[in-house]
Amino acid sequence: MAKKTYDLLFKLLLIGDSGVGKTCILFRFSDDAFTSTFISTIGIDFKIKTVELRGKKIKLQIWDTAGQERFHTITTSYYRGAMGIMLVYDITNEKSFENIVKWLRNIDEHANEDVEKMILGNKCDMTDKRVVSKERGEAIAREHGIRFKETSAKSNINIESAFCELAEAILDKTAGRESAENPERVVIDRRNNEKAPAYKSCCS
Amino acid sequence: MSQESSVTSEILNEKNKQEVRCRFCNSLMLKEQEGTYESKQFDLPLTHQKNTKDINTIETESLSDFWVINDMFTFENIGFSNTVDKRKFLICADCDMGPVGYHDIDTKKCYVALKRVHHGKEPAKTLTNNS
Repeated sequence: MAKKTYDLLFKLLLIGDSGVGKTCILFRFSDDAFTSTFISTIGIDFKIKTVELRGKKIKLQIWDTAGQERFHTITTSYYRGAMGIMLVYDITNEKSFENIVKWLRNIDEHANEDVEKMILGNKCDMTDKRVVSKERGEAIAREHGIRFKETSAKSNINIESAFCELAEAILDKTAGRESAENPERVVIDRRNNEKAPAYKSCCS
Repeated sequence: MSQESSVTSEILNEKNKQEVRCRFCNSLMLKEQEGTYESKQFDLPLTHQKNTKDINTIETESLSDFWVINDMFTFENIGFSNTVDKRKFLICADCDMGPVGYHDIDTKKCYVALKRVHHGKEPAKTLTNNS
């Protein structure tokens, strides 16, 4: 029984300074009513999540840097095969925002050229401690031509939609490639249709 | 209903008759007919370690009923722990509760303990937190 139960598999990475909440984006620990003392001791490596986008069943394999970022030397092996990267900063931490540029350079050096990127300004629930305005986040994203969202892992704001949007962007690329190989297929360019509510069926 | 008969009633064509979900948050882990039943003995660490100070002594529970999944991407939603002794432990992808089973690095197979998950579409009636 070797049938595939999905259409596509996307490997996604979370990158950014220590303490910006990457781990909370992927793993929820502490905030929940229940926690596993055993699992929090050994730590989590990656997760597999299934989303449905445009009738395609997509498996997302999501990895955290597991502390490698402390040395600012995420290695090529970590980036290998990555199709999407979430670049995370903390809106209450100026330095983490400034370092986004460094991370972008690191990605350029090590990751696949056509890796899809997205910047996340995390901890947007902490309004009283905010030091990086949303406008600055949007500006840097525009400058580098990549997507941007403010998120709160703690309050579960925009996390799922961010992953869906990144997955959809990768799907767009994949679809583009498929159409080149298969000219009979009609590919509708949705990029200009400003994100219709396409996420209803997704991440449920 | 005895433990044995409740296990038997979950098996259809040697596979899981119903969906496999998290006992705590109802997150869908595995669709029906995706895991193959296997009876084997394995000492799975308890979700809650009573003695958290000494990480070298892991309290386990002997379990004997598992769903075997050959390809990790068969799961709908699942989390993997860091590796301990050539194994990764499986957890809920949404609430991180677990381990619900383990992944063998050498064989690449995943084993989900029937006792650690909920079977069916409806949420588990009572959330027990004592495994």
